[in-house]
Amino acid sequence: MNWLRRLMGTRRLERDLDKELRFHVESRTDDLTSQGVDPVEARRRALAEFGCYEPTKEAARDARGTRWLGDLWQDLRYTRRVLWSSKGFTAAAVLSLGVGLGANAAVFRVMDGVMFRPLDVPRPTELFFVSRSQASDSRFSHPTYLQLAKAVPGAAFAVSTPPVPLQATIHGSAQLLTSQLVSGNWFDLVGVRAGAGRLLAPSDDRGEGEPLAAVISDWLWEQRFSREPSVIGSTLMVNGLAYTVAGIAQPGFRGLVVGTPSDLWIPVHSQYEVRHRSNAGSDNADGSAPWVPQDGMSWLVLLGRAPVTMDRTRLLATLEAKHQQILQARHESEQDAQRKARALRERLSLIDGTHGLSTLRERLAPALRVLMGMSLLVLIVAAANLANYLLARGAVRRREFALRLAIGARRGRIIRQLLTESLVLAGLGGTLGIALALWGGQLLLLVVSTTSNPVPVNLPIDWRILGFGAALTACTGLAFGLIPALRLSRPDVGDALKTGGRVVGSVGAGRFRFPLVRVLVTVQVALSLLLVVAAALFQQTFRNLVRIDPGFERETILDVRFDPRLAGFEEAQLPALYARLIDEASRVPGVRSATLGLIGPATGSSRTSNLTVDKYEPARDEEPAFHLESVGPGYLSTMGMRLIEGRDFDSRDDVKNKKVAIINASMARRYFGEGSPIGRHFGSGEPTEFEVVGVVADTRANGLRVDVPPLAYFPLMQHPDDFARNLYVRVDVDPDTIRKPLEDAVRAAAPSLAVREVVTLAELTERTVATERMISRLAVVFGSVGVIVAVLGLYGTIAYSVARRTNEIGVRLALGASPAQVRRMVLRETLTLVAAGILAGVALVLPAGQAAGALLYGLSARDPRTLMFASVLVLATGLLVGAFPAWRASRVDPTRALRAD
Amino acid sequence: MNFLQGTLDVLILTALSGPPLHGYDVVDWIRTTTDGSVDIDDGALYMALHRMERRGWLDAEWRVSPKGRRAKYYRLTAEGRKELRAGEKNWTKFADAVAKVFAARP
Repeated sequence: MNWLRRLMGTRRLERDLDKELRFHVESRTDDLTSQGVDPVEARRRALAEFGCYEPTKEAARDARGTRWLGDLWQDLRYTRRVLWSSKGFTAAAVLSLGVGLGANAAVFRVMDGVMFRPLDVPRPTELFFVSRSQASDSRFSHPTYLQLAKAVPGAAFAVSTPPVPLQATIHGSAQLLTSQLVSGNWFDLVGVRAGAGRLLAPSDDRGEGEPLAAVISDWLWEQRFSREPSVIGSTLMVNGLAYTVAGIAQPGFRGLVVGTPSDLWIPVHSQYEVRHRSNAGSDNADGSAPWVPQDGMSWLVLLGRAPVTMDRTRLLATLEAKHQQILQARHESEQDAQRKARALRERLSLIDGTHGLSTLRERLAPALRVLMGMSLLVLIVAAANLANYLLARGAVRRREFALRLAIGARRGRIIRQLLTESLVLAGLGGTLGIALALWGGQLLLLVVSTTSNPVPVNLPIDWRILGFGAALTACTGLAFGLIPALRLSRPDVGDALKTGGRVVGSVGAGRFRFPLVRVLVTVQVALSLLLVVAAALFQQTFRNLVRIDPGFERETILDVRFDPRLAGFEEAQLPALYARLIDEASRVPGVRSATLGLIGPATGSSRTSNLTVDKYEPARDEEPAFHLESVGPGYLSTMGMRLIEGRDFDSRDDVKNKKVAIINASMARRYFGEGSPIGRHFGSGEPTEFEVVGVVADTRANGLRVDVPPLAYFPLMQHPDDFARNLYVRVDVDPDTIRKPLEDAVRAAAPSLAVREVVTLAELTERTVATERMISRLAVVFGSVGVIVAVLGLYGTIAYSVARRTNEIGVRLALGASPAQVRRMVLRETLTLVAAGILAGVALVLPAGQAAGALLYGLSARDPRTLMFASVLVLATGLLVGAFPAWRASRVDPTRALRAD
Repeated sequence: MNFLQGTLDVLILTALSGPPLHGYDVVDWIRTTTDGSVDIDDGALYMALHRMERRGWLDAEWRVSPKGRRAKYYRLTAEGRKELRAGEKNWTKFADAVAKVFAARP
């Protein structure tokens, strides 16, 4: 590696060469002196005879093959001078490129974190989830799991519940922790390591009454226990049950559900004792008896791991066969032939588990796609900026390059130097972009989250981001540097030398001789118009959604959320608890009325049941169903709901009297036909024991965009086994002032009841449009960024055009043009470009609108008001930006301009 | 490699076929041997020396000259000797060819 050594020792080689040549000259000098020549004269002759010193050195360097390094260094120094000489435009180009690249990389990071990143466990591609065709939540019963687990040799299975809140007592205060009940082999199958202590093992799958182990997350250990080692082995009360903390999971592990992190894992077998009773489907089963042995309780998510070499189709077939066996056995004694046939039709399928489970992904996916589109647009605008900048600069320096070509510079050398310039620019922009991406990814997540619903996705610094950014940078730099480089190094020298910098007299002079620049600027303006339109449309969509009347009061009603079952209350204690809660709450100043609700609007939960209505024959394939809700007295008036017919619940409706219900308009319409439903009966199957006493107007309980389902309200008093989870309070004062007092009141009424949160109904309903809100916020961010970048580009281009035309302007002024006329001239040019861009942008809106149509609400992509608004905004911005160079142009001193070259 | 450059290389290699010399010595030797007819351009000389050193035909080392100053001395490597022999053969062939052309003057 002789050349490498030579490269390294360049400086020493330079010195050696210098010494060698000097020795030569000195020897010659000595010879001449010894022949009698005057020493000074001798030296002069020796040097003269040697000829050119420097070219020899250079040639020798060339011969050594290390010349390119010296050239590169020279190129870099020259580049630095060039860029520094026009700081403003360099800054504009670097900034816009940095922002464009940064935005893209930031979105890429978020998308990666949400969608692409595999789980941080060994061989995540081996994992899969099993889903059922007939159960939307795909839960299995424990006996089914045991049977399926043995069915496939070579594959292992484990179960867990989805993340659920459980009440734990930490340092004396009751808190809700997101937890999962898991089978003993779950940690081992997933491949999680213990950070400290030990994780759950199959030996923890014990029966009732034996000591129970729990595992907490590293995050919880840090946040609530300050990493005290003494936590391991200590007792943790969960829903009133004592667990021993056996260990901490590996740092960073918080379950397999992306977006819903878990902090506590307990054995599946403690289900009954810990009173976990949510998220289950029940079929001929008793929800109040232990679930583990019951085949009719479907409450577990089935996770499997099999080597990637195992054929997934065959695996599924084996599972399917076993499942069919199980179904046959289960429904053997089923009388109803139709139900039996339907049950046996159930199919299984496998879901890839590499990325964990995520509802977050489905929720965010469309938004992120839109974002990617927008950020790409921003990048294109930024790249166009760079291109324009290079082209504009190139135009100015035509003469310089012509001169260099004329005195013998090689074309390759010039191209290399120009490429160096554009790569340096791109490199600076790229560095800025990477910095922005690192910091902006977090910012994006912040914009995307809401305070009570944060997107807790971990975004580690990823070398792929740097790679992505670097690649993008290099491509941009090369692509946009090459074109001007090739153009400018063309050896048609004479033309450029002749005209020099003076462009007086040529028609269209100073106008961009390269139509490419005009096209680029037009494209930029068009794209930024598109971005502004998108931002405006999404904003309006969000506003439309939020303005929909949900059917209940939003601003003045607060919801205090809790769970009495988790807190350890028994059924018998409920009436007293309810009474105390309403009592304490009513006494808080500012409260007008208080009531209770089991599920409540906009909480994301629901309870459904099949439906039988007197005198209603369902169609052949129809399966009537309805949603259930239990409410306290005065619910309708507290919530501001409108009664259409009949009456509200009152003191008559207690356990002793007939069972009543109030239905909503949807239910009345669908199942009760034309006449009044008052007095008619329905039930969950037979008997139809509930009598309708009132009909209430529809509320958009489950979200502003979802269709209103049939819903029936029941009085809490007649359903003593319902553990109400919401206290609704109607207030006369600013809700923010009353949150803490309400929380205190609840605690006074029931100290052991952990309060999950206190929110207004407005906040709850806004969560249901969280996606739209997020899209609208991000669209505004990207729209603004895009406009800023385009404006930077526009400014740069116009300003440069003015700079180039200094002579022309000087001449005009000298010949009597007024400064105002000059200003108008420049502005007119700006206006043409902006107007063309706006027209092009409007044309682009139509196809783009198709793509994003599904995300809009209440207006189409072609909404004229939005287009008008966007056009005016872009036009105004463009003119504003063009004003400064125009003003500068009018201030040109004619004499200076004419003299300058 | 063109004709002129090749010739220069052969001359330098010949000069160095004996004991090691530095650049100035080489110029001197050639001038003396050709009785002043061939005076090598100094720039070309050093370019050739460095080029041949890179190709591995010459080895160089710094020594103290008889006058007491440090100078870079060159000598032939085995590769260089091979090149010299080949160069000599080529030159002879060329000279014969030219002679034939002159002899065949129409």
